[in-house]
Amino acid sequence: MRRYGLPLANIDWTFLVLVLLISAIGVLNIYSTGFSVAGGKTSTLYVKQIQSFLIGFIAMILTFSFDYRRICTYAYVIYCLSVALLVIVSLYGYTTHGSQRWIIVAGFSFQPSELMKLSLILALARYFNDHRSVWPYSTKEIIPPALLVAVPFFLILRQPDLGTALILFIVFVSAVLFVGVRWLDLLTAAVGFLIMLPVGWFFLKDYQKERVLTFFNPDRDPFGSGYHIIQSMIAVGSGGLLGKGFLKGTQTQLKFLPEQHTDFIFSAFAEEWGFLGSIFLLILFTLLILWILKIARHSRDYLGTLIAYGFASLIFWGVMINIGMVLGIVPVVGIPLPFFSYGGSAVVVLMMGVGILLNISAKRFILQS
Amino acid sequence: MMGLINGNEGTELRVRFRYLLVAVLVAMTVLGVRLWYLQIIKGEEFRERSESNSLRFRKLRAFRGLIMDARRQVLADNHPAFDLVYVPNRVVDIRKVVDKLEELYEKRGLKIDRDLLPSGKTRPFIPVCIERNIGPEKIAVVEAHALDLPGFVVEVNPVRRYVEGEVMAHLIGYTGEISQEELAQEDMEDFTAGDTVGKAGIEKYLDGYIGGRTGIEQVEVNVVGRVVKSLGRIDPVAGHNVQLTIRADLQKTAWDALGGRAGAVVAMDPRDGSILAMVSSPSFDPNMFNKGISRNDWKNLSRNPLCPLENRAVSGLYPPGSTYKVVVAAAALGEGIIDGETRFFCNGSLTLGDHSYRCWQRHGHGWCRLHRAVVESCDVFFYNLGKLLDVDRLAWYAKQFGLGSTTGIDLPREKPGLIPTKAWKQARLKQNWRMGDSIPVSIGQGYNLVTPLQLAVAYSALANGGVVWRPRIIDRIESLEGKVIKTFPPEKRGVLPLDASQLGLIRRALWGVVNESGGTGRAASKPDGEVAGKTGTSQVVSMPRDGVRVKTLARREDHALFVCFAPYRAPEITVAVIVEHGGHGGSAAAPVAKKVIDAFMGDKKVAREASRER
Repeated sequence: MRRYGLPLANIDWTFLVLVLLISAIGVLNIYSTGFSVAGGKTSTLYVKQIQSFLIGFIAMILTFSFDYRRICTYAYVIYCLSVALLVIVSLYGYTTHGSQRWIIVAGFSFQPSELMKLSLILALARYFNDHRSVWPYSTKEIIPPALLVAVPFFLILRQPDLGTALILFIVFVSAVLFVGVRWLDLLTAAVGFLIMLPVGWFFLKDYQKERVLTFFNPDRDPFGSGYHIIQSMIAVGSGGLLGKGFLKGTQTQLKFLPEQHTDFIFSAFAEEWGFLGSIFLLILFTLLILWILKIARHSRDYLGTLIAYGFASLIFWGVMINIGMVLGIVPVVGIPLPFFSYGGSAVVVLMMGVGILLNISAKRFILQS
Repeated sequence: MMGLINGNEGTELRVRFRYLLVAVLVAMTVLGVRLWYLQIIKGEEFRERSESNSLRFRKLRAFRGLIMDARRQVLADNHPAFDLVYVPNRVVDIRKVVDKLEELYEKRGLKIDRDLLPSGKTRPFIPVCIERNIGPEKIAVVEAHALDLPGFVVEVNPVRRYVEGEVMAHLIGYTGEISQEELAQEDMEDFTAGDTVGKAGIEKYLDGYIGGRTGIEQVEVNVVGRVVKSLGRIDPVAGHNVQLTIRADLQKTAWDALGGRAGAVVAMDPRDGSILAMVSSPSFDPNMFNKGISRNDWKNLSRNPLCPLENRAVSGLYPPGSTYKVVVAAAALGEGIIDGETRFFCNGSLTLGDHSYRCWQRHGHGWCRLHRAVVESCDVFFYNLGKLLDVDRLAWYAKQFGLGSTTGIDLPREKPGLIPTKAWKQARLKQNWRMGDSIPVSIGQGYNLVTPLQLAVAYSALANGGVVWRPRIIDRIESLEGKVIKTFPPEKRGVLPLDASQLGLIRRALWGVVNESGGTGRAASKPDGEVAGKTGTSQVVSMPRDGVRVKTLARREDHALFVCFAPYRAPEITVAVIVEHGGHGGSAAAPVAKKVIDAFMGDKKVAREASRER
């Protein structure tokens, strides 16, 4: 059996096309958000996004060329490396907008928390695959993976980056639900979680508390977090059925939308492309997620299933929370829209994941020896 | 199920995947439904909101017309100023909005005057002016932190500039934001809150002409309020320019001559009633109002016991003192009670009943005719006239001089003063007129009250042969291009009821006051004998008398008055001066008038020589 090489014959082209399509629309959208109506210079963010995709594309080819099982033998190593990077960030990280998330290496800025998402998925997949015989799992068995999550969770929360920490936690919960837990244990966990909520509330920073409170009443703080939600809904709603047209979204072009190239990127899209455009994009995302689930289902082994499922949940929750936030049904937490929001590290890491998924999909016919 | 290992697990997992499929579809449908709600159901409403986010109406302030003096020297013009304006998206408390701004200011050591903030809540999309006339440091802060201060805009607006400041303050007046009461008035429909209107002086009197018309523009703005596109515009119309009769050089001379003492100076051209200078002291800097005046400053001005905001020239009421003697003389001559030869004896006092009225000259003047009585200002002579004159007849003559009623000058808030009559005393004090009341009236004390402007008008009538003019400050109104819109020609108000010889008698006496030995007005004399006039010393009453309060402060010195005209043969200028608590008219007020006349005459000489050289 070959261990290297690109199994080109079995590339899942549909999947790749879906990814590229969504990404391309994303780039176009970023161009729009950076476009200068008053005749000034258009922001070059979209160029940077294309560059990230090119790098990501190369990374994807790289991860695709390795058997995913081989990658997973190093899962824990990768995990520890990621945690180490997170520690480095907390010590030497570059701070902007009040949060310390980046390391700068040779002129490139890199966000370890994004890498952590990938590492955690691999690590969890590895763990649940190794401990398969003891299924459904008792609370005792859940503790190690819980620890696997807890460490990066708190490190990232400290940055402070509530959004990414939350996503890690949710991915973990999804994984646990998927692999099966005893009902009683699930209940205990849920109760424990509810008890932890007030404690967690205590740990939240003020502005994060503000965001939760404002979620329930945006008018409470019309110039702070309430402002974002209100502006976002105005932008989305004013798109109407057909949208205002490319480069013609007034909220976007006049910069009324804050963070419009990152967290609120979907608002900009919805304003310019309207209901039809938004539903179209939503369908694309749905297809993408279902396609990843299909890869999970058809995987030749449990490990592949777990990895693919982990990715599916990562993307699913990313889409749900980000778009939910933009539409005002989820509190504002900084979670980017996968393949769509501007962000170099996120793009590269996602593309690496795509490479792994392609590999899983390509190897589905190969029976284990 | 392809690719999975154990049959059992396979089924379990297959079921799970089915659940997952359903879960994903349900979740996406929820998003889809929410999108439907926002974009289709509420789409119209949000579209409107997005437009009002970004579209707004902007007032374009008009340039106020220039105010110029008689020689077209600019007294009031406009210069561009930066205003900090806030346009809210919704209803908020203005004070809260300013908190962030204050924080940013403080980092640079700048302050915001919370006193000047409009109070209450904003209304959506109605701009609120936060600070007027801000300097470059504040502009820098606002522009640099534009994203932290959504809704704040720096606008350029014209702001008034008063070149001469306090010297012309009462005449020119000042401008300010229109008040609630003013808005409620009848003909104010074109005005809205935030408009600038004249509040005092010419600015107020001619606001309709000078103010121009505000323009309006619909613009599209981005989140920091920067104008991105103009969608339509009605240009503002600049106000008309005004040319006054005032001469800035004489005004300055009069101001300097008064030297910061409380009082007033009015210089008038007796040939047509044009006011050449009008000074009131103490004064204030009208430029203070350009930014919107702070509560503190306003308090200091309005509660200052010296009343710097009042134009003493038209609203200051004083007993005329001995300057009134010309009126009494005119009345006595007119009624035929005396003539130029009639003599009265002054031994220093006059006794009436059990009361003795003193002359200022204790030893008395001896036998006096009218001429000497005026020159040396003998009180007893005039007490005698007072005894012989009916007070109502005297009042009639006073009214012919223009006293006791407004002169009709084109300035707001003129006061008519008071000339007592029997009827007045009956109505006001519920008492009959007594002879003892006529005595002080005859020397200009008692119930008499006049303004410095009235004195100037009265003496101008004496100077020009008997014509009482309406005093005028405004010469003409012009459009920007110089086309004359309106003129204000001189207006005759009346004629003195005296014949030429009677007039001449008085005039010669006035000449004597300044130029003859014993005259009380020697301080104003010039070597060529051009000046004629009358001194006056107005008693300051320290206690209210008979319920009539005379406007004074409880200090000892009397007010000093002096009214004069020059050149004697063909007068071209009348000057009335009052120096509050200045003491004697001759010593305190006359020198002030002399300086003004010197400047006037000197300037004429220069002009004559210049034209001769050509």
